[in-house]
Amino acid sequence: METAPQFEDVAHVRAALEGAGYICSPGVATVVFLAQATRKPILVEGPAGVGKTELAKAVARCLNRELIRLQCYEGLDEAKALYEWEYAKQLLYTQMVKEKIGDVVAGARSIAEAVDRIAAQEDAFFSERFIQPRPLLQAISAEHPVVLLIDEVDKSDPEFEAFLLEVLSDFQVSIPELGTRRALHIPFVVLTSNDSRDMSDALKRRCLHLYIDYPDRDLELKIVRLKLPLIGDRLAFQLVDAVRRIRALDLKKKPAISETLDWAQSLVALQVEELSLEVLRETLNVICKHRSDVQLVREKIEKGFSVAPGPLTAES
Amino acid sequence: MVPLLLRFVAGARAAGLRVSTSEVLDCLQHLERIDPLEEAQFKSVLQANFAKSRREQAHFERLYRLFFHELRQDLSIARSPELAETIQSILQSLQPAVGTDPSTQALVDFLAGDPAGLLEHASARSGGAGSPRSVASAGGSSAGRRRELADRIRMLEEQLTEVLAGRRDELGWEERRDLSAHFQDRLNAARRLLAQSIENRPVSTERLRSFRHGVDELGEVHFASLTPREVEAMREAIAQLVRRLKDRISRRQTARRRGMLDVKKTLRRAAAYEGVPLEVFHRRRPPRKAKIVTLCDVSGSVWSAARFMLNMLYSLQGCFAQVRSFIFVAGVQEVSEIFKQHAVNAAIEKILKEADIDYNAATDYGRSLREFRQHYLDILNRQTTLIVIGDGRCNYTHPEERLLAQMRERCRRLIWLNPEARQFWYSGDSEMRVFEAVCDEVRPCQNLNQLLAFITALVL
Repeated sequence: METAPQFEDVAHVRAALEGAGYICSPGVATVVFLAQATRKPILVEGPAGVGKTELAKAVARCLNRELIRLQCYEGLDEAKALYEWEYAKQLLYTQMVKEKIGDVVAGARSIAEAVDRIAAQEDAFFSERFIQPRPLLQAISAEHPVVLLIDEVDKSDPEFEAFLLEVLSDFQVSIPELGTRRALHIPFVVLTSNDSRDMSDALKRRCLHLYIDYPDRDLELKIVRLKLPLIGDRLAFQLVDAVRRIRALDLKKKPAISETLDWAQSLVALQVEELSLEVLRETLNVICKHRSDVQLVREKIEKGFSVAPGPLTAES
Repeated sequence: MVPLLLRFVAGARAAGLRVSTSEVLDCLQHLERIDPLEEAQFKSVLQANFAKSRREQAHFERLYRLFFHELRQDLSIARSPELAETIQSILQSLQPAVGTDPSTQALVDFLAGDPAGLLEHASARSGGAGSPRSVASAGGSSAGRRRELADRIRMLEEQLTEVLAGRRDELGWEERRDLSAHFQDRLNAARRLLAQSIENRPVSTERLRSFRHGVDELGEVHFASLTPREVEAMREAIAQLVRRLKDRISRRQTARRRGMLDVKKTLRRAAAYEGVPLEVFHRRRPPRKAKIVTLCDVSGSVWSAARFMLNMLYSLQGCFAQVRSFIFVAGVQEVSEIFKQHAVNAAIEKILKEADIDYNAATDYGRSLREFRQHYLDILNRQTTLIVIGDGRCNYTHPEERLLAQMRERCRRLIWLNPEARQFWYSGDSEMRVFEAVCDEVRPCQNLNQLLAFITALVL
């Protein structure tokens, strides 16, 4: 088997992630490197839209691994996350082999003996064939190392979190009918959380913690340039500065990197060369997703909120 | 590396950060794999292992800066071990002067390079009034204690000068110069540390401890005695609590909404499995949501409690079929429109500034109830929960409890929240005894914990 690519040091992580289209701060790179080196899961927290999920995808891309994603939601249970028996398929097979049952129980002298004989055939129905692996089992039984992304883990119920804890500490799963499955390769695990509830201390202790905040100006500029090579220098500067100023306001949902990129893309599509107040007013809906936020920024514009680059403290 | 990290961990624990042994082990293991001389990497390793939530992050930042930048041992001295010995012996000779005073002991430890004690002192100090720790360590205001610690630092400074002068025979003047410079540095660092813990005192109330703890402490403070910064913190706390409550409600509702067996749907699905009902479906009941009508006394002291209740109610709007709010002093005014148009906090500010009501008038419950009955009685029906929040002090006017009884007749239940402590309810111009007889439920509502208990009972 060919050896999968590995990160050698922190600088390598940064370069590799950048090659995969993800620009990160040294802190992020350090944590990613350590997670891979020590095989610990990463718990990524941060506001929506700063690239938490994207990080996992980028890691998968540059390690050349498959990405298996488990989206958490309220009410997610083991059957949806781990494995499920395919009832329909089992039933169908039962129907098709109905006649065979006659052969199996033929010559049985008592009912007890007939039942025993049928029980001996049980394995045929509880085998690999009828199991439907869900993301966690997929990640554990994968032939090659994978990246397992457990997205929005804070949305799941506390019971599921406890179950996850068990899986993440041993990387093995027991299926009563089939026995214990141990991971061939420890997957690279990324958990993301939007901080809508606190994760348990036990889970936190097992993970490396990474908080991704809104990027600083240079980083954001670099990201915009990487994703949209067509954008003009001047527009990119103005754009990033304007977003940073809007972010400084007291908004319900502050614009994150994904909003910056959306905005940049729409400005490029509109063939805007320079960011004026008019343009800002008209395209505000791209960056502010709440009506009251849009209103607030509009008010600020009326009061002389400027988009020109300058010290951030000048407004408010 | 190991002793350095352990010292940091000890300091961090003393300052209220929770760090487990396994995390320290992990961290050491991680440090082996990176280049610890590069600070960005070193810091992110520590951060990834020790600060495991957003709230701990700011606290960690502060401790990190303090420990690795401001309290750093002077390098030139740390390099010469013979001086370190002298330092130890000098500190030893200070011991009789120290006696049993814990804060001086902490300072001496600090001079010897162990900041844990002083950090604990400083953070206990900044815990603010009401924290059991600062009360236990010694009574008195935090300002007084601070002055006391500053005095100790000065005292120690004098003693050190004396000791150094006394050892003129053993030590050369260069050594003495180095030593006094070292002690001066450390003492200045201690002063900075002290000054810093004062700077962010109000904020650190909730930052220094775990968040829950902060809420608990804040939860017991009377609404009327909150400082503006605490009001800010309170809003944050409420947002957090509301989010958690919403989680609980939605879980509760999904469980409760499971109704009777949906025969049709189950049979339809069973057809796919040759008539075997493998999957069972249930009907979903629409959740029963209450209509809320609030009637808030907005005069003086009551308003501080009312605003937080309105904040919570409107944050939980989705859990109710309808929320309508009225405010009164001597006359009723509906403010639902303001809440509809603005975000919760902005609306509350707006009400204070713009609502057409005379905030300085004497509270007149009778008149307010009369006006309410005249204009709004028809909004009360069998699904309505009427919440009145007020102290029941009618300024010796007629309370008109008979009108309240009429309103009670029309709605599902009537709850009275009183922001006064129960022992004052029946004194002076308070008509609580009369009102109490009419209400289904009367609750004191003085602080966040009581309010939270009420709201939880209301929605669950």
